[in-house]
Amino acid sequence: MELTPVQLNYDFGKLFKTTKSYIDNYNKNNFELKSRINANHRATAELITRLYAKQLNKAISRGDSFEDGFPGFKTYNPSLASCKGCTVRTIINHKERLKAAGFIIKEVHHGKTGIELWINPLIFDERVKKIHPLVQEHQEQKNNNSDVNCLINVTGTLQEHHKNTEESWISNFDNAKANELEPAFLQGLVNNFWNYARSKLFPDDIFSKEEELKVLENITTTIYRNFEVKGSYKDWKDYQDGLYERVEMVKRWLDRNPYRWIPSAHLYFHPHNKRNNFKSTYQWFLKQQNLKRNIRNRILIQKAEKEWLDHDKGEGKHKDKSRLQLFRLQLKHLESYRDKTLLKVYENSLQRILSKKLTQ
Amino acid sequence: MIPSNLSSVALSKCIVYFKDGNCGTFYSLDKSHRNARPNKILGLKRLEKMLLLRFKGKWETAIIYENQPNGREIAKYRDGVRLF
Repeated sequence: MELTPVQLNYDFGKLFKTTKSYIDNYNKNNFELKSRINANHRATAELITRLYAKQLNKAISRGDSFEDGFPGFKTYNPSLASCKGCTVRTIINHKERLKAAGFIIKEVHHGKTGIELWINPLIFDERVKKIHPLVQEHQEQKNNNSDVNCLINVTGTLQEHHKNTEESWISNFDNAKANELEPAFLQGLVNNFWNYARSKLFPDDIFSKEEELKVLENITTTIYRNFEVKGSYKDWKDYQDGLYERVEMVKRWLDRNPYRWIPSAHLYFHPHNKRNNFKSTYQWFLKQQNLKRNIRNRILIQKAEKEWLDHDKGEGKHKDKSRLQLFRLQLKHLESYRDKTLLKVYENSLQRILSKKLTQ
Repeated sequence: MIPSNLSSVALSKCIVYFKDGNCGTFYSLDKSHRNARPNKILGLKRLEKMLLLRFKGKWETAIIYENQPNGREIAKYRDGVRLF
């Protein structure tokens, strides 16, 4: 029987220790804040180490021996940024600092195919024998390309099963339906709304414990409809922001005239109060939102018309562009608002400008 | 109609110290109609309304308690202003 050679892999734990000791050593000699490696840089370094080790282990399992030297760590700046939950610029800055520290020794840009990083060989100098996990492994052949059994965390990266045995709670955060939402979260919404409304609308009123409980009950029934409506966490948060705006709106309305008033809190949020309930502010809010949108649209259209006029005169920042280029530029800008009425108004204004030109 | 056993069925009571030196205990009417479920908040609001409208300017201190032996204080008023 032929013996297969023992594969030596990179162990994540050891790599982290060497990374830590390397950075600690570097920090010992550098006292300036601008040159030190702080916790954020450290996290980026650890992320790079982990992903690089994964790539190297994969290459080892394919049979690479690295006789010609280590391959670089192939990655993309945006993917590192999304892994870490920061912007691309942050990753670039962190890489600069790590380069200055000697952690990254070389970086090559491959344009569309990403970047290649070479890490200090001091960190990757020790390999260990791959130890099989103590748990029973599946005997069936693994499909490495399949992500069926892999958990996807909030950053969109796949996680190994044996590294994370618990179900990722955050992964379902935004997709969870109302009936699956945590009661503490929903109660928090009610409490936060009440605290906000109280500070804005009833700052001088004193409420006993019973009164407050009753008001909270009324708010849950009237404003949140006892959470019978299904929605994700994000939906509820958006709704909450709308509620805060409505409270602000009422506050402004009260401040404009000293003779204006609202009923006491237990009546204002009472479900049977049809006359002056907080619920009726919704129509008011919608009206205001529409008004705001119309004004915004009008300003945008005026700006676009001015650009056309300047372009015809050979002035403005778009004077070197052709008419088609200008049209496309404006359309792209206006489409980013995702408002159909805006595009329709833009079309009308364009026709108006063109017809005016023809008559002249 | 006010029930005859109001002092035993009321959920809260208000002790009013009038300016003329008198003192009175008033029990809350907690039902919106005869067969309704008692509503503590309704009773409290009615007591408050009594203090601020019916006895306006006539009392110095008023304390609303839970109508139980050793009942805790729910609200306290002094000269028409609620203290807690």
